[in-house]
Amino acid sequence: MIKEIIVSFFKTVKNIFSGNSASREEVPTTTSEDTPNTSTAPVEEDAPFSKPEPPAMRRVIRVSADTENLFPPDDPDKVLIKAQPSNTGDQCLFMLNRTLFEGHSWWYPTFESAEGSSLAERLFSLDDVETVLVHEATVTVTRKDKSILDWKPLGMEVGTVLRELLEEGGPLISQKIRDEMPSQDDIQQGIQKAINEEVNPGVAGHGGLITLQKIKGNTITIKMGGGCQGCSSADFTLKQGIHGSFRKFVPQVGAIFDETDHAAGMNPYF
Amino acid sequence: MPRLNKFRVRIETGDKGMEEPVRFCFNSHRLPLEDVSGGTQTGEVLEGGYEVNSVTHSMTLVGPDKGEWSLKKVTVDFECENTPPYSVEFPAVELDETSEMDIWQDPPLPTFDV
Repeated sequence: MIKEIIVSFFKTVKNIFSGNSASREEVPTTTSEDTPNTSTAPVEEDAPFSKPEPPAMRRVIRVSADTENLFPPDDPDKVLIKAQPSNTGDQCLFMLNRTLFEGHSWWYPTFESAEGSSLAERLFSLDDVETVLVHEATVTVTRKDKSILDWKPLGMEVGTVLRELLEEGGPLISQKIRDEMPSQDDIQQGIQKAINEEVNPGVAGHGGLITLQKIKGNTITIKMGGGCQGCSSADFTLKQGIHGSFRKFVPQVGAIFDETDHAAGMNPYF
Repeated sequence: MPRLNKFRVRIETGDKGMEEPVRFCFNSHRLPLEDVSGGTQTGEVLEGGYEVNSVTHSMTLVGPDKGEWSLKKVTVDFECENTPPYSVEFPAVELDETSEMDIWQDPPLPTFDV
């Protein structure tokens, strides 16, 4: 009898440490018709971390924040310019207190493209200026030497050129560019054609979708959806792919903006 | 994306007030505001905040579960890591049980006069 008890004890201990549940199965359960057997079906209390019902998805309203007036209206005749280098340091935005190209924008990718436009010609005469984008009251400059992150020296030179040109008072954008500017409807049709025939078929393989959101003059605003929204390559796709396609279909396209909220996609990469 | 240490929001209610506690949604986590003063009845002003101490992906102000809530003006004071404190002011918006308002804005890029 003692031997049986000792053997049974060691068997139980062995089962416990081996994770064998046989010992538990051997324990008789007291079930009756009135008490349902809950050994296989977990009750709610046994699963405190069960998945709660997710709240209903809400529509997110995005409104533009009220921006402070960058420039005090004390002396409207004085040319005021603020420089804002980008996060990546490869370009710098210059904001002025007056319009340079009313209702339109123009991109100068090379020195040769600046012919006849005094503003771009003078900017390209500065060392290290790679491209120039003029958009209403702003100028965006990229530099050749991407290793220099300090924009102050070049920024001061750009500021001096802009101030001198504005004080001289001549035309800043070539007459040829102004005369040959297509209508907004023509630009819209051309861009939509580029999206339908080249851009969207190109990004469809990655589940992406590009839509034309807004057009003002020759300035385009797009939105990247599907797989493009929040994709780590979105910026590369925009600059290397979409810009090229748009300018191939409509060479007079100026600034191209992306208003996608890349942090709000279903799969944001950050 | 910056790390948000804390924020404080000031909400001016317009002509449609509400009685529910004000909640915000941070990176898809719905939370009540802390250190709240004032109210959200018609014409009232409510102030509250939260010590988030986290990288921000999204931040919204959640509409009431019942009824409508008109916001006359929303001002948010942000304190992010390695960035001077900054304030953002949003214009009038109306929220209900189907909507929330995006109140996040990245710190402004530094500028200099040239």
